[in-house]
Amino acid sequence: MSPNGAPTGPRAIAIQGLWRDNPIFRQVLGICSTLAVTNLVMNTVVMCAALVFTVSLSAATVSVLRNYTPRNIRMMVETLIIAFYVIIVDVLLGAYWPSMRANLGPYVGLIITNCIVMGRCEAYGNSHPPGGAFLDGFFNALGYSFILLIVATFREILGMGSFLGMPMPFFGGPAWDKWIIMVMPPGAFFMLGIVVWVFRSIQQSREEPKK
Amino acid sequence: MKLMRQAKFYPVLYMFVVTAAFSTVVIGFSSLTRERVAANERLAFERAVVAVLPGLYETGLRSAQIHQRFVEQVSEPDASSGDAFTLRKGGQVVAYALPFEGQGFWAPIRGVIGTAADKRTVTGIAFYEQAETPGLGAEITQPAFRDQFKGKVLAREGKPINLRRPGTALGENDVYAVTGATQTSTRLEAIVNRALNEWQSQMGSDKAQSGPYSLTKSLGPISSSDPGKQEAGQ
Repeated sequence: MSPNGAPTGPRAIAIQGLWRDNPIFRQVLGICSTLAVTNLVMNTVVMCAALVFTVSLSAATVSVLRNYTPRNIRMMVETLIIAFYVIIVDVLLGAYWPSMRANLGPYVGLIITNCIVMGRCEAYGNSHPPGGAFLDGFFNALGYSFILLIVATFREILGMGSFLGMPMPFFGGPAWDKWIIMVMPPGAFFMLGIVVWVFRSIQQSREEPKK
Repeated sequence: MKLMRQAKFYPVLYMFVVTAAFSTVVIGFSSLTRERVAANERLAFERAVVAVLPGLYETGLRSAQIHQRFVEQVSEPDASSGDAFTLRKGGQVVAYALPFEGQGFWAPIRGVIGTAADKRTVTGIAFYEQAETPGLGAEITQPAFRDQFKGKVLAREGKPINLRRPGTALGENDVYAVTGATQTSTRLEAIVNRALNEWQSQMGSDKAQSGPYSLTKSLGPISSSDPGKQEAGQ
């Protein structure tokens, strides 16, 4: 354990990021993109990949520079580093996958303001060596990703009757009246609320016996 | 080093150096992919043109096939077609594809509208650049909205095409607007009509046989400015 109580071992970092301090259902960070890009599973997968890339590398970079960066301008430097990685993702998507870039619209650029990215740089990257910072960013982004994928799976199946664009049995057929609300933003609110509730309940029921 | 880090100018210098370093990499990166990005944009346009011309488009066409069809079958705009790209069979124009562009709700909307050889029967509409609100204004790119245009007949007088409130009765040049996206709909209507009016007046000169319509045609652009005025009041 480091001075501010953050874990340093890879296993502890993984548990912390994926479960104990999960950015979505525990810290409730980065919700704007959770609501916006989860209507199709494919969009969500790409968004999550972009976030994993950005969070882990920017936390590691912040960590590399931590001993040289003056404290009073550290947030400027962090924003710069985050923007750097996000622009790279954006340029790559524009060059090699323009239709996906069009689907995600402004949300790739908005990763810069995603609270999880700066949160990890500030809470961990700033005060730990690069290797740990990379892992911390990586597992937090994975913690974000798996919740997003759960939300997206339900939204696409219930709202569009498909999964990854492929029609699903029953849900894709005429017997299923598609829940249009699920592909619209309010559907994400409901789904996210339910997912946070379920996961917090599981978390609590697991923690209580210990007390 | 320690002495330098205590200096007052250190944070400024540091910020300059870090910014310069990261910017250099980003600039290098984007110039490496610039050609590819330009080719993608060109392809998006070609895809839209191919999509509105009858008989050219099938779902599932790959980018290379789209490009091939465009190059082989679509003619660039010339004096006889105004601003419109044309599809010709045996020298005869079979259909026109007129590009249009204008300011949408958030960003420019760019697209193509296709008409048959009579310049009035719509064969399709497609968009190759837009950033309207996802789920609302961006629905204009969905088949449900675009398919409405097929077979509509552009009006000779007034606005060539109207976007009506959903649920009202439709005439031969009316389609339903997108619910919840009034701004996008009114702007799109104005953009498309402005392009069509300009095109009609360009083509008007070689259309001497349409004598009775020449007067109303020349009045067309005036009435097309109405949507713009309404927007300002919204």
